[in-house]
Amino acid sequence: MRWWLGLALLAQPVVAQSVRPRLEGRIPNDAVPGVDSIVAVASGEGLPTEPLIQKALEGGAKHVTAPRITAAVQASLEQLRGARALLERAGDTLPVKTAEVTTVAWALRRGLPQPVVERVVAALKPPRAAALHAVADLAAHRFNVDSSADLIIAAIHDGLQRERLLDVSAAAAHELQRGHTHAEALARVRAELPNVPGPPRPTANAVGRARRVATPPPP
Amino acid sequence: MNPLDPRIHEALDGEREASALPEELARAVRPLERAVALLAAHVPGPSLEGRVLAAIRAPAPRRGGRFVQWLVTPHSITFHVRPVWSVAFAAVVAVLTLFPTGHHGPDIGEREGIAQFVGRFPGARSVSVVGSFNDWRDGSIALEDIDHDGVWRATVVLPTGAYEYMFVVDGERFVPDHLADRLVADDFGRENSVVIVRPARR
Repeated sequence: MRWWLGLALLAQPVVAQSVRPRLEGRIPNDAVPGVDSIVAVASGEGLPTEPLIQKALEGGAKHVTAPRITAAVQASLEQLRGARALLERAGDTLPVKTAEVTTVAWALRRGLPQPVVERVVAALKPPRAAALHAVADLAAHRFNVDSSADLIIAAIHDGLQRERLLDVSAAAAHELQRGHTHAEALARVRAELPNVPGPPRPTANAVGRARRVATPPPP
Repeated sequence: MNPLDPRIHEALDGEREASALPEELARAVRPLERAVALLAAHVPGPSLEGRVLAAIRAPAPRRGGRFVQWLVTPHSITFHVRPVWSVAFAAVVAVLTLFPTGHHGPDIGEREGIAQFVGRFPGARSVSVVGSFNDWRDGSIALEDIDHDGVWRATVVLPTGAYEYMFVVDGERFVPDHLADRLVADDFGRENSVVIVRPARR
């Protein structure tokens, strides 16, 4: 009796993770079983599932064929596995948080090299999303990736955290716009740390116009 | 003042023919004769009494006419206000202007922020934005081109975080946000834009 009860308790999460209702009618019917099984595997491995569902829904919205949707979702699963492996290598506390897995997968998709991501992960406790996005933003502006990571880690040591780290990358981009070289821009911002200007607050007009939309559950 | 020649008097009074005067006196008589003719032609206006009676007898203007007349006639208005009331009035106007009490939009939570989507799509019939914030469901966030200049906008409240998105033009064409700094491959051969929503309350 206890054996059956234990089996039922183990099976329950898998059954509860079925995402068919969210997928049906949104992606080709041929893709639903494959995506559903990939999501179930991810759930069984303790990986976040929402990025996989979003990838499938994105493919459906873009009228992509079933095989390509399934392949993209499978590729996303591999990215999540790689992200978790990186977190484990960097010494993150086990079990790693699903939000951190998603964050690292984001950083890798945005083109950050694994060693750079590992350095940032090792230098900062969760949540690390803003730090990794800040480094990726700098890389997108063609700053040297290692120097970008150095700047963000220096900002962390100077007491900046979370979204304020995005202000560091924004400040470096502004220095570029003022005509400085990449190296000069990084040096100027680093010299000013932790004093970087914050983002403009949303205007009352923007707040007044804002609409609330139904959003999916967080990953 | 030179005394007038008596012969000129006589000519003006008709007691002597002007033509019989010497040429020098005749030249002096001619402008005087024109002046006399002008004075004789003047018709005097009505007397004061006549003008008052005419005004009394004129029909009274209608009520609307009197009101219009009152509106267009300058009036002097004088207020006697203590300075403390003037200061209080100015303070109330300033508060109402700086902190309007009207519609403020939705209440924004601590872990929510505002995302503004702007795209230039001249000639588009409809533009919406789809992304991981709305399950890539077309039509749930429609952009508006209020002044018909081809610039479409939407402002929405979203939970803080990073999201991938694209614009959908005319319900069928997927277009990345060219104003976005952040782009990421979408695994379907194209690129999604990335927006990071920061907390509105800081």
